[in-house]
Amino acid sequence: MPDVDVIVVGAGPAGAAAALEAARAGRSVVLIERGPFPGSKNMYGGVVYGRILDDLVPQWWEQMPIQRWVTRRQTMILTDDQALTVDYRTENWGRPPYNGATTFRPDFDAWFAERAVDAGANLINSTTVTGLLRDGNRVVGVRTDRPDGDLTAHVVIACDGVNSFLAKEAGLYHHDGAENYTLGVKETIALPRDVIDERFNVRGDHGVDIEMLGASPDVPGGGFLYTNAESLAVGLVLSLPALAASGLRPEERIAQLKAHPAIAPLVEGGEVKEYSAHVIPEAGFDMMPELIADGLLVAGDAAAMCLAAGIWLEGVNFAIGSGAAAGRAAAVAVRHGDTSATGLEGYRARLESSFVLADHRKLRDAPHLVMSDLAQQRLPALACGVVEQLFTVGNPVPKPGLRRIVRGEMKRNGVKLRDAAAQGWRALRTFG
Amino acid sequence: MSAPDPSTTVDPSTTVRPTRAVVACVKFTTILPEVDPLDGGVDPDVRRAGLSESDLAAVEVALRLGVDHGVPVVAVSVGGADADPSLVELLATGVARAVRVDTEGAPSATVAGLIASALHDRRIDAVAVVCGDYSSDGGSGSVPAFLAHELGMAQALGLIEIEVEVPGSLRVVRRLDGARREVVSLQLPAVVSVEGGVADLRRAPLAALLAARPGDIEVVPGGSTVHLEPARQRPWRPRSRVVPAPQGEHALDRIVALTGALVERTPPRTIELPPAEAAQAILDQLAVWGYVDDERPGTTDAPTPDAVERSDTPPLLG
Repeated sequence: MPDVDVIVVGAGPAGAAAALEAARAGRSVVLIERGPFPGSKNMYGGVVYGRILDDLVPQWWEQMPIQRWVTRRQTMILTDDQALTVDYRTENWGRPPYNGATTFRPDFDAWFAERAVDAGANLINSTTVTGLLRDGNRVVGVRTDRPDGDLTAHVVIACDGVNSFLAKEAGLYHHDGAENYTLGVKETIALPRDVIDERFNVRGDHGVDIEMLGASPDVPGGGFLYTNAESLAVGLVLSLPALAASGLRPEERIAQLKAHPAIAPLVEGGEVKEYSAHVIPEAGFDMMPELIADGLLVAGDAAAMCLAAGIWLEGVNFAIGSGAAAGRAAAVAVRHGDTSATGLEGYRARLESSFVLADHRKLRDAPHLVMSDLAQQRLPALACGVVEQLFTVGNPVPKPGLRRIVRGEMKRNGVKLRDAAAQGWRALRTFG
Repeated sequence: MSAPDPSTTVDPSTTVRPTRAVVACVKFTTILPEVDPLDGGVDPDVRRAGLSESDLAAVEVALRLGVDHGVPVVAVSVGGADADPSLVELLATGVARAVRVDTEGAPSATVAGLIASALHDRRIDAVAVVCGDYSSDGGSGSVPAFLAHELGMAQALGLIEIEVEVPGSLRVVRRLDGARREVVSLQLPAVVSVEGGVADLRRAPLAALLAARPGDIEVVPGGSTVHLEPARQRPWRPRSRVVPAPQGEHALDRIVALTGALVERTPPRTIELPPAEAAQAILDQLAVWGYVDDERPGTTDAPTPDAVERSDTPPLLG
C-alpha cells in the first residue's frame, strides 16, 4: 500500500489547488514545498484573476491578501521616444465580485496553501523532491532530499514550476527549447501610497495594470508596470534567445525602460527594493508536455499553462484551474482504483471542457504573433507615427489626410500593405 | 494563541519519578526582520520566523549530548502557538518531548523562571541545559544565565566548541573579547549557550515529519506576564555581523582600512578653528552635502580664512 493517496509537488497556486481539491474529496494528500513556506521563492509581480477561485474559496475576495484591485487597464505602445496608450477604467472591477488584483505571491501562495491544509492536506516545507520513484513505467512516488525521504502514493501531481524536473524526468516534455521561453525580469520599487495614488490617478485600494508593446528595442517581448499598495512592479518579459544574442543584461533593459519618457515620471524617486528574474513558458499550447502518465499528472507552469497572448497575460488562474482539475481527477482515479494513464484521463477531459485548454488552443498562435518583428518593432512605430502626424499642427501647411499619413508611415517603417493585411487576418483568426 | 490545554498540566505533587534528560531551550523568533532604514521600525513576518541559528545548534548539541549520556532530549520553548510548527519539526528530528510554556512577551528573568518551573512540574531532571547564545531578534542572551541561577547549575555561555570528555564532563571553548579563547572543563549538570556555528541541526526524516503532530506538544500555561520594554535611546537594529579584521601594520592603518576613509573620492581634511567658527564650518559643509538648508542666515560660501588644513591628519569625516 502506498503511504498516501496523492503527493503534490510544489505549493504554488497549481499545487495548492490540486491539494485542496484532492483533500476535499477525502483523499490523503501530502503537499511538498521546496521553500520554507509556500511562495517564499516566488518572484511574480503581476495580476491574479480571481474568478477561478469562486468554486474553490467562496467569497475569496474577503480573505485573499491583495495589494490593489485593478480598476485601470492600460495597453501602451512604445517607441524610443513615443507612447500611445489605450486606457480603460471601470469601478466594476473595484467591487465584489472583482476581477483581478495585484498581490505579493509570498502572501497569496501562503494563504492559498493554508486553504489546502485546512481541507486536510499535509504541507511539508523545506523539502526538495529530487526525483520520481517508479515501478516499471509507472510513477509510484517521489524521492526527497530528507533522510528516509522516499514517499509513495497512488498519484503524483507535478506542480514543480516552469523547469519541471519531474515532467522532464518522466519524458513528457518534447518542446523545451529556449525559443519557447522568455525571461521575466522585475524590479519592485517602493513609493509612498499617496504618491502612487496621485501618479496613477487611483484612490484607496484601486490600482493600475499597464502592459507595454515595443518596450525593449531589438529584443522581442513586452513590458509591464503594476501598482502595489506601496510599491510598483516594473519589468520586462524578453525572448531568451534574442536577449542572449543582444549582449545586454536584463537589468540594463529595465534601466532603459525606466528611462523612457513615458515611464520615468511614474517611477522617479522610488527606491528599488528588489530585483528578480524568472523563466516563463511563453509558447503556450505548442510547448505543452504530455499531461498524463501512469501515476503522474502535470499542472500549472510545469505544464506550460501560461497564457502570453498580447492583450492577455495570465498564468496564476491557469495554474489554479489546471491544479484543481488535476486534484479532482486524481481523487476520482484513486476512488476507482485505476491510476494508470487511462484512469487519469479525466484530467484531460476536465481541462478540455474548461478555459484552461480551450483558451490555450484558441490562442495558440498568439505568442508567435505577438513576438514577431512586425508586431514588436514596426507596428508600434507605425501606430505612434500615425498618431503623431495626426495631432501635429503644421500650419500654414493644411492637414494631411489620414490615408496619406498611414501610407507615409508604412513606407517609413517598412510595413508593406500585404504584410499588414496578413498580420491583421492572422490576428483576427487568433483573437476573433 | 491557542488556549492552554488544562489536561496537559501536571500537579507538582505528582509522585512520578523524574526523567533524566538533556534540555534544549529554544525561542521562536523573527529570523529575517524587515527593518526600516530610517526609523529602525521592525516589521516581523511570522512566515520568516523560526528558531535562530544558535537555537538550532543548541538542539543539535543537545541531541549529541543525549546520545553520549544515554538520555532523551526535551525541547522547551516559552512563547505562543506560532512556535508549534518549529517544535513539531524538532520532534521529527529526534527530540523526545517538546514543551511549550504558553505566554508571550516575558522578560528574560521571567522566561528563565517559567522554564525552570516547567522542568520541575514535568519532573524533568536536566543532565544539561543547552541554549542558543542569543536570539536573532535583538535578544540580550541573558536567559541562560538566569536559568543557571534558577536551576542552581554552573554555566558556560557563548560557546564555540563543545565536546564530551567523559560522560558528566564537558570540554568547552568560550569566545572572549579581543579574539581570545577560554577552554573550560565543565562538570554537569550545567547550563551552556552555544553560537550558531557550533553545529548544524540534522534534518528531520520525512517519515518522522509526516508522523509528527502539533498535538504532540505539551503545552503548559504560562499565565500572563507583564513586560515593560525599556525605552530605547536608538532605533533597534539587528546585531552587527563579524567582518574580517582589517589589514595593516599600524593601528592607524587598520582604522583607516576599517573606515574606508582613504578610498573616498573627496580627500579628507581636518579643520582647526575656534568653536563658533568650527560650528559654522560644519554647518556650511552640511549645506554643501545637502543635509541642511543653505539659505540659513550667516551661511558663508568661502572657507574661513584662518582655517588650517592638514592633509596628513587622519580624516574627520562628516
